[in-house]
Amino acid sequence: MNINEFNDIFQNCELIDEKIVIKSDLAKTIEFIKDNYGFNLLKEIVAVDNKEHGIELIYRLYSTENEESVLVSFVVNDFAESVSKIFESAVADEKEIYDLFGVKFVGNDELKRLYLPESWEGHPLRKDYVQNDERLRWND
Amino acid sequence: MTKLKLNLGPQHPSTHGVLRLILELEGEKILSCEPDVGYLHRGMEKMAEKLSYIQYLPLVDRIDYLAGFFYSELLCRTVEKALDIELSSRVKNIRVLMLELNRIASHLLWIGAFLMDLGAVSPFFYAFRERELILKYFEKVTGQRMMNNYFVYGGVRRDIFDLEDVENIIKILPSKLNDYEKIITDNPIFIQRTKGKGSLNSDVALNFGITGVNLRTSGINLDIRSNDYLYKDIEFKPVVLLGKDAWCRYKARILEIKESINIIKQILGKLKQSTGVEQTFVNPLNIKLPQGEYYSEIEAPRGLASVYIKSTEEKTPYRLKWRTGSYYSVNLLRKLLVGEYLNDAIAIAGSLDIILPEVDK
Repeated sequence: MNINEFNDIFQNCELIDEKIVIKSDLAKTIEFIKDNYGFNLLKEIVAVDNKEHGIELIYRLYSTENEESVLVSFVVNDFAESVSKIFESAVADEKEIYDLFGVKFVGNDELKRLYLPESWEGHPLRKDYVQNDERLRWND
Repeated sequence: MTKLKLNLGPQHPSTHGVLRLILELEGEKILSCEPDVGYLHRGMEKMAEKLSYIQYLPLVDRIDYLAGFFYSELLCRTVEKALDIELSSRVKNIRVLMLELNRIASHLLWIGAFLMDLGAVSPFFYAFRERELILKYFEKVTGQRMMNNYFVYGGVRRDIFDLEDVENIIKILPSKLNDYEKIITDNPIFIQRTKGKGSLNSDVALNFGITGVNLRTSGINLDIRSNDYLYKDIEFKPVVLLGKDAWCRYKARILEIKESINIIKQILGKLKQSTGVEQTFVNPLNIKLPQGEYYSEIEAPRGLASVYIKSTEEKTPYRLKWRTGSYYSVNLLRKLLVGEYLNDAIAIAGSLDIILPEVDK
């Protein structure tokens, strides 16, 4: 797949460190890549909290036909567009990211606590997370 | 007809862990399924950010306690890639030997447990009898039956020995597999309970992120081992079947065991030619990955497993993310069980080979 050709269609992306970094229209771009280049498997969505630079979402797409991968990166703050209508597996990934990072995916109506109990406060993998377990104060 | 909400779990033997399925039923027909996971959550990714690389290494076997070698290997190869460490060929061969033995042990346990779910008790004991041989060998070499913590950055913890035990295992296994096939594969009750049940089309499987055996039985040839650097000099054929159903997933795992035996045979020949293991010493107290992002993947028994590490040249990773196959299989249940009958639900959920520690991380 040729990134330059891709760049002509969507003027919202550039290639940085082998990653296609998109500036806007996340769901539309991913759908375009899926439909036109045969990337039919979303291996995973990785979220990384880059502090003041926002939360980076990395979509790892794979094509079983051409046996090639592509990385799509998108920076969000607290809200992001859901791709669960395009890839059903994104439901699972987005649930996990919501639980651990607190990113709310618009269009995914399954968002609720996954691993942690409903009463848990905060999202542990965020860099500004404060560990507030009462057990830490038992020895004070 | 009135609808009924049924709570399957949280402790059901078919799940080999703690999975809760909230089923909505009309009669015996399933209208919707909602998996509830997280009972075994240990915060593997959060712990990684607090521990140094050498402190974290023993923990990763616990992500999937039945296939711990695969996760150790993943972390080791990512760190080795980042630090530019080249493994000697003997270390590579030792690792492949252990991985494939682990794959056989994992599949054997699945066969036993799956048949137990369907109500057949004796195959469970047969499968465990053969798995025991492998675990005994693991104990001899690594000191542990499970959660071996045997791979280290730059090599393995100690050299391998008593290869005649492995020869013995691969000599016994094929005849035992024939025995299983005699009592299971063409058994009319087994066929009735699994044939045509939980049919999974390739596009649905890909859409749900399913990998590994479950995807290969839908006719898609996706086996990461073909591009794996450890398996470069090894000839093997990925098991790809077209049956799509629970019976086919059983058959594929039997064939995968046979394929693993073939790989082990080739490896044994190579291991016998060399002696003395050459390792690269990595100072465990001072492992710092250069700044950047690292990613590796491996074909684990339950599908594609991968790890992503972002490093900022600290002693701990900035971010570490695991991808495990079972997590997506659990998500698939929301679709696969709809429209099926309750008594098939166990057969279908069992056939996907879901391991809950891997889901919950």
